[in-house]
Amino acid sequence: MADIGILLQVTLWGVFAGCIYILLATGLTLIFGVMKVVNFAHGEFLMLGAFLSYFAATILGVHPYVAILISMAVMALVGIATERLCFRPILGTGKLNEIIVSLGLILIFQNMVAHVWGNDGKSIRSPYEDITFPLGPVSMPLDYVIIILATALILLAIHVFQTRTGLGRAMRATSQNREAAKLMGIDVERIDMLSFGLGSALAAFGGGLWAVSGQVFNYQSGSVPAIKAFAIIIIGGLGSIPGAIAGGLLYGLAENFAAYFLGAAWKDATSFILLTIVLTFRPTGLFGGEE
Amino acid sequence: MIALLLLGIFAGCTGAKETGPSETAAPGTGGEAQGPDSVKIGVVLPLTGPASSTGNDMWWAAQLAAEEINAKGGVNVGGKMVPIELVAGDTETNPDKGVEAVTRLVQQEKVDLLVGGFSSAITYADSVIAAEEGVPFVITGASAPVITHRTDIDTSWFFHHCPTSDDYPYWTLKFVNEVVRPAINEKFGFPEDRKLKLAVVYQEGKYGAGVLSGVKKALEENPDWKIELVAEEPFTRSETNFQTVLTKVKEAKPDVVYPATFINEQVPLVTQGRRDVGLNTIYLAVEATDDPDYYSGVGQWGEYSIQETRFSPYAVPKGPIAPAVNKFREDFKAKYGKYPSMMGAGTYEGVYIAVDAIERAGSLDKEAVKAALAETDLPEMIEAMVGGRITFTEDFRESKFQLYMSQLIWDDSAGECRPKIVWPDQLKEQDFQLPDWYEPGE
Repeated sequence: MADIGILLQVTLWGVFAGCIYILLATGLTLIFGVMKVVNFAHGEFLMLGAFLSYFAATILGVHPYVAILISMAVMALVGIATERLCFRPILGTGKLNEIIVSLGLILIFQNMVAHVWGNDGKSIRSPYEDITFPLGPVSMPLDYVIIILATALILLAIHVFQTRTGLGRAMRATSQNREAAKLMGIDVERIDMLSFGLGSALAAFGGGLWAVSGQVFNYQSGSVPAIKAFAIIIIGGLGSIPGAIAGGLLYGLAENFAAYFLGAAWKDATSFILLTIVLTFRPTGLFGGEE
Repeated sequence: MIALLLLGIFAGCTGAKETGPSETAAPGTGGEAQGPDSVKIGVVLPLTGPASSTGNDMWWAAQLAAEEINAKGGVNVGGKMVPIELVAGDTETNPDKGVEAVTRLVQQEKVDLLVGGFSSAITYADSVIAAEEGVPFVITGASAPVITHRTDIDTSWFFHHCPTSDDYPYWTLKFVNEVVRPAINEKFGFPEDRKLKLAVVYQEGKYGAGVLSGVKKALEENPDWKIELVAEEPFTRSETNFQTVLTKVKEAKPDVVYPATFINEQVPLVTQGRRDVGLNTIYLAVEATDDPDYYSGVGQWGEYSIQETRFSPYAVPKGPIAPAVNKFREDFKAKYGKYPSMMGAGTYEGVYIAVDAIERAGSLDKEAVKAALAETDLPEMIEAMVGGRITFTEDFRESKFQLYMSQLIWDDSAGECRPKIVWPDQLKEQDFQLPDWYEPGE
């Protein structure tokens, strides 16, 4: 049996993995909550975020963390454009259209990136990669600390935005009942654009942080995280931000404990077994409504 | 915006194809004697899809070989000099499309011979057509031994000029036993007969499982090697977080860790092992990661790790093949603006092997060419071969590569690590070093 030190290490790696999942899933659930649209191309926003960060850091030469902020801003605009040009025209015309549009977007974004940057692996070197903090037998890289803190901060900022500002409250209102929100004079189409922009920026943030943590990425790097993000928001409850947070953490922890006790080949299987269990007992997810 | 996006998808779909048409790389050479007007070689390769950069490399290398041969007058087919004509068969990095591509090459283009093939899964599927139609296939890029060992089709048409997943662990562990193990014993004062503890972390699927079974086979067949396997951990393809699995590996107290990965897995594995988990060991690597993307991705964390290789982007082995390697690299760079990869090197040799067999057969008759290929005995070209010769084994028609080991050493001017060949003696540039931070298993 593993000793407590090992269990703490596995927990730490689980929380770290969970942070990237949370950023991706929060954006996805935000968009779903407001528009009830399933964007299967959400993983491509993470991939694009990584590539734009790479472009800003390598070609323009800015600090990698500044590059991530630039990539977030650009991706917010890409998200708004995607909503305006691709999803708004088909809103309310049926789920099949949404699926086909998002599958088309996957092809467009992947091929665009492959055309511009090729299909080789890219990486971004963090200036802090040498700095680690000893944590028992583990070395905690500064980049990981930044990722965990940045995730916590951004979630706090979203919470404040949604509870303390008029626009944020309008977003929540639209999420709860679109028709009623419209009747109350809320410009729901503006809220759609805003949520898509915010969701895309969060995905870009996740992609940039993930890249800087020491990964190699290519134009297909968004595919696997996208599937995981879907599983997470289903576990957490579609449209629920606390659900995305809980789901992301649970997912990260389940994957890592499975990797330790059963072997890394069990990571994906365990996460989907978890999904099945949650759906059996709570069909609407952990934080889902009673719809 | 839409226009831009459409442009993107359009360009993405067609861009790679522009580089791979079935163009003739030949000056026409006439002749009065009866016989063929050209030798038509089908090159099976992924010009599009995830492996398209590898495919382009293979295509360019094949063209370079064809141009060199044509510049010297072409191929002597039974007394008549004819040019080589290359035809690309794009597998689109997909087994089904590979079958279509080979079918087209064989039935419509009526090629005399096939060269290339990339990925065991794709080649496993598309080589069936070559066997059924009876076309000789010089396979230069599928590492699974099953390609020529299978019994469900007639594999006598296949000539495997590519190290297999049995070869990688054999040479790598031979090196570990001869060089790394004594170095550890000496530095830490261990007895000479202490067994070195080896951990294998492998990608699930044909490739990774192939390396693991190659490790077991090599250890079984060489009981005098003092190496024991203390951990074998699989992971799913495209894994990015290895901290937990490496924590588990660390508990097994290995002296050396042997990952069987692709580049996008090897980079986070080595980085997280050294930086996060504190698994300060010697990491080995399969030749698939000997690629510029690996060196830029792994950065300083790759320092002192071992790269098994047969043709490196940054290292040239000492010895008789050095001038040929340098010439190939520089000619390739002058023409295409970048250095060739290992897959390019194999394809380049494949074209020469095919031409040699046709000249000895004296005709384009496929049975005669097949018989001549089986008798191949060429001096090694740009990849080191066992005994310095390219020959195919009688049982499974495999050529035997002399794989060599590089150690990654930090290079300030590159801002990355660069491989330095440390083994075997006849090819090495410098000696293997055990780093100060190295920690043995116990």
